[in-house]
Amino acid sequence: MTDQRASDPTTREDEAASVTRGLEERLIDSVEDHEGVTRRSVLGGLAIAGGAAVTGLGAAQSENDPDGGDGEVNGFGAPGEYTHEQFDPHGFLREFNAGDSPNERDAIFGRADDLNAGVYEEDGQTVREFNFTAIDVEQEILPGVRFPMWTYNGQVPGPTIRVEEGDLVRINFTNGSRKMDHTIHPHLRNLNPRMDGIPQNGPGLIEPGESFTYEWRAQPAGTHLYHCHTLPLKAHVHRGLYGTIIVDPKPELVRENPRKYLDYHGPITEEVREMAVRRAKSRNMISHAGFVPEGYDGIDEMVMVMNGFDTNFNGDNEVYGVNTRGFAYAPARTDSYRGEWAAGKTKKPIQVDRNDLLRVHLLNLIEFDFVNSFHTHSQFFDYYDAGTTLFPNRKTIDTVLMCQAQRGVLELDYGDHQPGLYMFHAHQSEFAELGWMSFFEVN
Amino acid sequence: MSDDRDFPSNSDTEPERESEPRPEADGGVTRQEDFPLDISRWVAAIAPIVLLALFVGGFLLATPLAGIQGGGEPLPAVSIDYTTLPDGETIRLHVTNNGPPVEITQVHVNEANWQFDVSSPGDDARLGTGESATVEIPYHWMAGYDYDVAIMTADGVTFGTTIVAAHQSPGITTQILWTLAVIGFFVGIVPVTLGMFWFPFLRTMPRTWLHAVLAFSAGILAFLAVDAGFEAFEVAERVPTYYAGPLLVVLGIVGAVLVVQAIMDWGSGDEPSRLALAYSAALGIGLHNFAEGLAIGSAFAIGRTSLGAFLIVGFMIHNVTEGPVFVAPLAEGDRPALSHFAALGLLAGAPVILGGWIGIATQSPILSALFLAIGVGALLQVVFDIGDLVRSSGSLRAAPNLAGFGIGLFVMYATDLLIVL
Repeated sequence: MTDQRASDPTTREDEAASVTRGLEERLIDSVEDHEGVTRRSVLGGLAIAGGAAVTGLGAAQSENDPDGGDGEVNGFGAPGEYTHEQFDPHGFLREFNAGDSPNERDAIFGRADDLNAGVYEEDGQTVREFNFTAIDVEQEILPGVRFPMWTYNGQVPGPTIRVEEGDLVRINFTNGSRKMDHTIHPHLRNLNPRMDGIPQNGPGLIEPGESFTYEWRAQPAGTHLYHCHTLPLKAHVHRGLYGTIIVDPKPELVRENPRKYLDYHGPITEEVREMAVRRAKSRNMISHAGFVPEGYDGIDEMVMVMNGFDTNFNGDNEVYGVNTRGFAYAPARTDSYRGEWAAGKTKKPIQVDRNDLLRVHLLNLIEFDFVNSFHTHSQFFDYYDAGTTLFPNRKTIDTVLMCQAQRGVLELDYGDHQPGLYMFHAHQSEFAELGWMSFFEVN
Repeated sequence: MSDDRDFPSNSDTEPERESEPRPEADGGVTRQEDFPLDISRWVAAIAPIVLLALFVGGFLLATPLAGIQGGGEPLPAVSIDYTTLPDGETIRLHVTNNGPPVEITQVHVNEANWQFDVSSPGDDARLGTGESATVEIPYHWMAGYDYDVAIMTADGVTFGTTIVAAHQSPGITTQILWTLAVIGFFVGIVPVTLGMFWFPFLRTMPRTWLHAVLAFSAGILAFLAVDAGFEAFEVAERVPTYYAGPLLVVLGIVGAVLVVQAIMDWGSGDEPSRLALAYSAALGIGLHNFAEGLAIGSAFAIGRTSLGAFLIVGFMIHNVTEGPVFVAPLAEGDRPALSHFAALGLLAGAPVILGGWIGIATQSPILSALFLAIGVGALLQVVFDIGDLVRSSGSLRAAPNLAGFGIGLFVMYATDLLIVL
């Protein structure tokens, strides 16, 4: 193809030029009377499209361009690929640590740490133990751009912890940072104030080199967060000290007291009770990992932490995303005038199976901006605020608004969608265009 | 404690000193003469440089400041010197790295990540200290809108600027060059040449009045020098800090004075001929008009081309006063050949055209500041020369001369009001 073009470039270009001229006239005629569309803007657009057609710009050329930056027509997002192997948002997406999970973790490119420290019984109580270490690392947040992070276990967002309702969560926390005091504050219904991870209670701030073991009661069932509560809060949260803790509902407890798990005031019939129990099983990956809800082949769960970074410290975020890396779940290359795209090595859509129930644990950990949001294209989802209810609080919506620290569970069904690319992003356009733009590739 | 004690001791030493032999006191001079070979002189000349090199080398190797350099890294400093919009689909940033080496990793347009391409000396996105580059952004911009553009370095620092009321920068086409030539012709050559037609009238003037006219010319030139001087320092603010804009302007002014003076002295010895003075005046005005041309060209380039008929008329009235300035020195004595007048007119007027062309090709603040500064230097030199000329055959402070100078300043101020670019 390339050879043929090289052998007779003039003919091809003449041909293309005459075709383009014809199209130009037709398009101009059709928009001539349209207010706000100038002849020039139409011609300008055509010039680019024509140029792309003649020179074969776009996907084809991009493949020859390892840099990935030059071939993109009317570009999309931040050019380039990620090179820094500190944190992998694709690995992080589906990594859940239950205390007995493998410590070679996908979130950190398969490297091992000692995060999962065991699951055992103590006084008739299941204990899930984890090792957390606060350390300072740099993470790449856009291709070529690094940000100095304060992290739990060298990753932002911090490791996703998954426990079962009623468990005791034991966190051996060591502050390995060089200068800063840190804590871990859980958004759980914790009954012991010493374990709240704030400067005013219990051990207070954990100084560099010191350790403290936090013990938390895993309740209520839902999707929650933990974060550092050292002042200044804005700095300690924004620099990356936050993560997800998912508390799976116990079907037995649901059967006993379904009303506690439902945002529902009608009579609890046997049907309602069984429905709630089934939903609890579907949500419980620890004791009911094999449960397959009716009508699906399986459940595909993922964690998305909406965050942002103020790279120039002006009190406003320059980079937005889910799971830290801007545009990480978007195509690396796009030919906007042909609707074509190509995945890159580090920037690629999330692969999902249309026969799976898709469950997203979504958290908003943005700083500086009051709200964040999640919007799906060609899709509506059920939303469970904080994941604390088993029937959706909001049914069939395509956009959900979240304030800082708000989180929830989203359930999406692509069962009758055609395979292909489906976008999702913050519907604050500014956030979207600064990195918080993502895609599912449904197969 | 007591004055009495001290006095005797002083008086004791005095005689002793005087008794010593004195002749070898100025040994420095004698020793220099004592150098047996010429080579020693050169060794003496080079020795400090060699020693400096040794110390610099030793300092770099020993790194005695290593202990106190913790966290003291220089901050990145990148400037967006100017922006151009070559077509409806492109925004082009002209950037200079004024600080430590950086890499341009991302680009924002109106708070959105965008594609871009960097053309730099190393042909990558890394810029060494003092290196300049162009960043080309494919962006479908709208005329009249404002655009915030910013570049981001590897550590997330951003450097931005606002393109106000976006307007396509005209490319360098024959049509635009022709337009600028026509404007330059009307703004530069026509008024300057018309001004020269006062020459026959000047020749009829008595010496006193002629001096007053020369002083009037000096007033005009002085005004232009001050005017251009302010502008040069204003433009210097936009020069990338790496090139130290204000110092560059000072260097340009002083350098131009020295160079023009040297050229004047080259052929004519101490006393410049009147023709040489006329030429240097024409050159000074030419350089000033060149800077005027640059301003017109830049206005075209950034799309601020409200060069209406009124503005052109304003320029013509402003510049017509420049004509008599460089023919006034010729009013006394023999009239030079007419070809000299043609040459003077072209030298003074034609640079508007050239300036316009260069102004549209580049909006580099370095170039603008430098040209303005050179113009200021050349104008000042002519003011000094006219001063010398008047003083050599009269008094500078004669009332007509002072009045002439003052009127020159005022006329320039008044006609300057007609020009608002």
